[in-house]
Amino acid sequence: MAFTDADLIARVLSQEDHNAFGELVRRYQSPVRAFLTKMTRGDSHLADDMAQETFLKAWKKLGTYRGEARFSTWLFGIAFNEFRGEARRRKEFALEDMAEPPPESAQAPAMAASNLRLDLTEALKVLTSLERASVVLCCQNGLSHEEAARVLECPLGTVKTNVLRGREKLRRKLSLEYQHYESA
Amino acid sequence: MNPPESNDPLDALLSENDAYVEDHGFTARVLTALPPRRRRSRLRPALLLGATLIGFLLLAWWLPGLRNVFAASPSEGLSPNAQLFLVLGALFAASASLFLGLFAVLKWED
Repeated sequence: MAFTDADLIARVLSQEDHNAFGELVRRYQSPVRAFLTKMTRGDSHLADDMAQETFLKAWKKLGTYRGEARFSTWLFGIAFNEFRGEARRRKEFALEDMAEPPPESAQAPAMAASNLRLDLTEALKVLTSLERASVVLCCQNGLSHEEAARVLECPLGTVKTNVLRGREKLRRKLSLEYQHYESA
Repeated sequence: MNPPESNDPLDALLSENDAYVEDHGFTARVLTALPPRRRRSRLRPALLLGATLIGFLLLAWWLPGLRNVFAASPSEGLSPNAQLFLVLGALFAASASLFLGLFAVLKWED
């Protein structure tokens, strides 16, 4: 019988059960690492470091988890705070809007040969951090707008706007890539 | 809830792009790095509450004495209004410290 998240959390809190926490890490390492990889624009090593820090903080703060939100939502919140802290230290992950997408000339040869999945990975990079986080959380991880607003600590309307704007940018970017691919 | 966005190629692409990330020893690395969990101390909130209560009792015991001092030398002491404000201020400070102490105990986390 599989333990629920609540069972595992209770075991960690009452018995300091490393195996129970290990099961929680195994369950959520993939979405957390994937989310942070997208937030760092593909830097999987940095994303893994942040993901590890996320789970260590979750271990320390597990007593403060009240079960009001899904455990994954709570974890995404810690992960996004980790990213936000890193973004303050590193200019390249700055939270403010990017004025322009990365130069096309450097990417064009690779893009022409890439498949749709790589196109999307590249397209996600042109979104601002908040747009990217909103799209990834809501459209890939299945969080509701309300849950995403809780994770990102911003108003619900901002999340909705960022999802709409992000999706529109992705559509525009991907259609440009298809045109480029077809004409090559 | 989010509005359903079915039949949108972008949604299909986004879900296809959300591939499972293999563990590759990640969980083991996290478990190795886990620090010992700090147990919730039962002694600290008890001390906090005890100290607050003792402070409150001492103040309550001291206040009548203070009033006697003022009454013994009214000419040199403060005006009745000032004495009243002083007593009320001390009571307010004691109540506030008791309330904050209780609040700290109730909200105590690791």
